[in-house]
Amino acid sequence: MTNMITSACDTCPAHTQMAQMGLKIDNFDRVVALAGNPNTGKSTVFNALTGLKQHTGNWPGKTVTRAEGGYEFQSVKYKLVDLPGTYSLLSASQDEEVARNFILFGQPDCTIVVTDATALERNLNLALQVMEITDKVVIAVNLMDEARRKGLEVDTRSLARDLGVPAIPIVARTSEGMQTLLQTVADVIEGNILTSPLRMEGNDQYQAAVRTLAAQIEHLYPAIPNARWLAIRLLDGDDRVQQAILSGEVAELVSGQQRAEAQFSKQMAVAGRQ
Amino acid sequence: MTIPSITAQDILDQAESLRPQLKEGFRDEIVKSLYSEAARISGRAVHQVGNTKWDFDQKIDRLVTSPWTGLPIMLLLLAGVFWVTIVFANIPSQMIATALFWIEDQAANLFTSIGAPWWLTGFIWHGVYRGLAWVIAVMLPPMAIFFPIFTILEDLGYLPRVAFNLDWLFKRAGAHGKQALSMAMGFGCNAAGVISTRVIDSPRERLIAILTNNFVPCNGRFPTLIMLATVFVAASFSPTVSSFIAAGAVLAVVLIGVFFTLLMSWILSRTVLKGEASAFTLELPPYRKPNFSRILYTSLIDRTIFVLWRAIKTAAPAGALIWILANININGVSLAREIANFLNPFGLLLGLDGVIMLAYIIAIPANEIVVPTMMMVYSGVGMMTEITGFGEIRALLIDGNGWTMLTAINLMLFSLLHNPCGTTIWTIYKETKSTKWTVLSVVITLGTAFLVTFITASIARLLGWV
Amino acid sequence: MDHLFPIIFWSSAVLLLLLLIFFPRRGMLARFKEYRQARQREQLEDTLKYLFGGQQSGHTLSAAELAASLQQPVARTVDLLKRMETQQLIENQEGNYRLTHSGEKSALHVVRAHRLWERYLADEALMPLENVHSMAHRREHGMTVAQVNALDAALGHPLQDPHGDPIPNASGNFRPHDQGSPLPQWQEGKIVKIVHLEDEPPLAFAQILAAGLQVGQVMRVMESNATRLVLTDGQDEFTLAPQVAANVFVSERSETAIVDEDVIPLGELADNQKAEIVRLDDQCMGFTRRRFLDLGFTPGTEIFPELQNSFGDPRAYRLRGTLIALRKEQAAQILVRPQLYQ
Ligand SMILES: Nc1nc2c(ncn2[C@@H]2O[C@H](COP(=O)(O)OP(=O)(O)O)[C@@H](O)[C@H]2O)c(=O)[nH]1
Ligand SMILES: [Mg+2]
Repeated sequence: MTNMITSACDTCPAHTQMAQMGLKIDNFDRVVALAGNPNTGKSTVFNALTGLKQHTGNWPGKTVTRAEGGYEFQSVKYKLVDLPGTYSLLSASQDEEVARNFILFGQPDCTIVVTDATALERNLNLALQVMEITDKVVIAVNLMDEARRKGLEVDTRSLARDLGVPAIPIVARTSEGMQTLLQTVADVIEGNILTSPLRMEGNDQYQAAVRTLAAQIEHLYPAIPNARWLAIRLLDGDDRVQQAILSGEVAELVSGQQRAEAQFSKQMAVAGRQ
Repeated sequence: MTIPSITAQDILDQAESLRPQLKEGFRDEIVKSLYSEAARISGRAVHQVGNTKWDFDQKIDRLVTSPWTGLPIMLLLLAGVFWVTIVFANIPSQMIATALFWIEDQAANLFTSIGAPWWLTGFIWHGVYRGLAWVIAVMLPPMAIFFPIFTILEDLGYLPRVAFNLDWLFKRAGAHGKQALSMAMGFGCNAAGVISTRVIDSPRERLIAILTNNFVPCNGRFPTLIMLATVFVAASFSPTVSSFIAAGAVLAVVLIGVFFTLLMSWILSRTVLKGEASAFTLELPPYRKPNFSRILYTSLIDRTIFVLWRAIKTAAPAGALIWILANININGVSLAREIANFLNPFGLLLGLDGVIMLAYIIAIPANEIVVPTMMMVYSGVGMMTEITGFGEIRALLIDGNGWTMLTAINLMLFSLLHNPCGTTIWTIYKETKSTKWTVLSVVITLGTAFLVTFITASIARLLGWV
Repeated sequence: MDHLFPIIFWSSAVLLLLLLIFFPRRGMLARFKEYRQARQREQLEDTLKYLFGGQQSGHTLSAAELAASLQQPVARTVDLLKRMETQQLIENQEGNYRLTHSGEKSALHVVRAHRLWERYLADEALMPLENVHSMAHRREHGMTVAQVNALDAALGHPLQDPHGDPIPNASGNFRPHDQGSPLPQWQEGKIVKIVHLEDEPPLAFAQILAAGLQVGQVMRVMESNATRLVLTDGQDEFTLAPQVAANVFVSERSETAIVDEDVIPLGELADNQKAEIVRLDDQCMGFTRRRFLDLGFTPGTEIFPELQNSFGDPRAYRLRGTLIALRKEQAAQILVRPQLYQ
């Protein structure tokens, strides 16, 4: 059974803090999303935390829809969402839509960007984009074992300093570093760790245009959390965001999406087991 | 102060008017600055502290994709996987068969001795149970060997290299190179293969991949191929080479499947799915050390047991059905025989026979039970033909039922090409949300199967081989 | 009873036939009507387009001229024009027709759809430029505004079609762009950028394409006289007849020399030769361009063709630490500068 209590880290003194909850996600307290490039080990992290069996494998594109599962950490129940891998949030191929829409409209309490330690440059591109959308970001630097094998040393402290969000080294396969990751996620959500994500500057003209638009968006939708990002997307001519603004969907971001979430998780719970 | 009210449309118009003011290539600029920032940060955080196995991976990659060695290595690997499967599955299969049929005898005897009515004994033990026994004996060992090997290749990162090696062929056929990935998944299960076509962005190329996925023999059909290759094609060779011959035969069948995949893709992309090639980019991820315990678990529990369980669920009712058909007699002839006789002329036309056709009809829900079904009809349910190994199968088929080499070869071809199983058809429907494409997927496969077997049978007869 | 059978047979046959013909939405009659409506709509849209094209170059068209363009009898064309008049799409001025305000709007919609389709077919479908026009002509019809907007967004709001003609935006305005002037007007020695290739007449267009010219190329005029025109991009020379060259529109480039002399398409880079990405081809737009950018094909990035396969296509390139395979067609859209020293 999947809801059996197993430890993610047998050697940790506090290993009883964590429990895999499988598909028991009916009443969760927090939502955490797993984003990242294809093949960085998102599904492996997901499986390790929830005890579920998402398809993993070393080829890009095997996770095509989002999967949901649960885990409990220090008596808080989390719903974990495994998203399809994407190189960027700018384009609009199908799987990227799924990921992007969730990070933006699903309003997770925290987004873990799973990165490949052996190809950080490529992975940080996406991390920077996620950080444009939300403050609540934790970078999981996965595949540390592969990095070691290739003689690479990754200084996660320098990474965290530069990015302005926590960066945790992990090996998803052996659950190394998983406790720290969960602790950090909890701290970011509860506000014990304050993040100040690096945001791109761009030239003056661009800055001015973004500011003008963002002000208007905030004016129309006062409580909106990421007007700046929406403004950038509008300038880029993003069809999905245009529609969301026109239809007022952005206004419903908070309430509406959470209803849909709850419904979706129930469906998954019914249909998820094959 | 009154603030002029803004509508959503105003905001969009504003964006529209601001856009041309920005430098052309706004997007290019964003991405460029994102990447240069990423490069700067990662440059500060990552240091090379020693040049270990990094080069080794590259050397391997050069070998498996090189113009000279890439394709041969791929074929050898495939043949190797089949060979290992055949060699290591053979003995366990025979042992399981012996054991399970021994149990059948004992149980049936027990039932008879405690005075159970003949039809109860027959129905339970020679019907339902025998169906199950056949499925487990024929399927379990090859799957338990094939799936782990396959999962290792998947985890290692070899599959994208296959797509890379073969893309040119798919391009020529008007399809997408990632179709090779979905075909690879099809070896496991065609339904999974159909789902995995989602990695292809273009709807047109994705449909081609969906409609042709069935030309890859799935694990349900592999045992059929392996059994036929072992029992017929390879049997006349000396024991030392026979396993190689069998693996070669299976490989040949798979290559024929690839050929038909390409051919059908070519035809589709020039007829109903006419259109343009989409942009092709394929990432070749770095090799990763497979995690053996995890792989054993995934492939044995998730895949093998999953597929076997599905087979068992259809095999039990199929076994029951066959037993009933075999035991309802009309004018002294069993209903099963009656139907088989009715189908016989058509079967013969395709180089097969009526029993095989009947087995295929019964096995539409799950292809994997074709051989078991066939064996049950042939062996005449109710009478106690002792089948304890593959040797007896050969005798039963050739001496008892007039099989020839043509029958075996055409059955292999037919099982390779015929329509998808029920689950796959249902999956195709769910993925395409269209009756039209679903029907087409059945029509083109079944049509190909009929046509090809008819042609081989006709040629064989014309040349007097049979 | 037997005598009833023929009656039953025939009446059911007739019933079946009637059903076949008159069945709502699926019967032959409904199908035919549908077809005719689509046809009429197409012709109406084409008429709008022709009138719009005429007006752009400053003249109105007569019924006879329109009939010739539409390739149909004058009488039918007149019918069509009458209908369009009652819909207030066009107005008749002394036998010639011009678009009304709402007619212009509809025409812009069709033009927009047409040019966006051309963009799509050229960029995403990599269709040869000479086929793009006729294919787009088939696809432009019967699209709703929302569909055209979606296409526009999917392509990344392009400003020009592959011939260099401007694409109007959703509110029907042409975005500002450089129209250039015909090539024969330029003196020898000038550095120019091709901004527009006129696709009518087709014969001249085919010659331009055959010569290897593309929108966006930067060239130096080597020779310009009454018999021929010679251009160079620093590597190859392109020769055109003056009548053909008149269909090539160029504008001035300020650079003193042709830049990019040592720049080649990625596809032509030798195996194992390191290079630096200079830019993406101007013709590479929309989804393909965005995908390239997302994968990190940005100017300044080092790239290296690492893996070949038995067919020589695709090749896998190492870029930012990852291997990415591209087909020849895609690799041709990325321009690189080989690094001479390794
Ligand atoms: N060596 C190693 N391999 C890993 C690790 N995490 C994941 N993998 C492997 O990386 C591949 C991709 O993992 P997956 O979870 O499917 O990636 P996803 O696409 O991000 O969901 C699989 O073959 C995993 O077995 C890790 O920490 N170490
Ligand atoms: Mg995944």
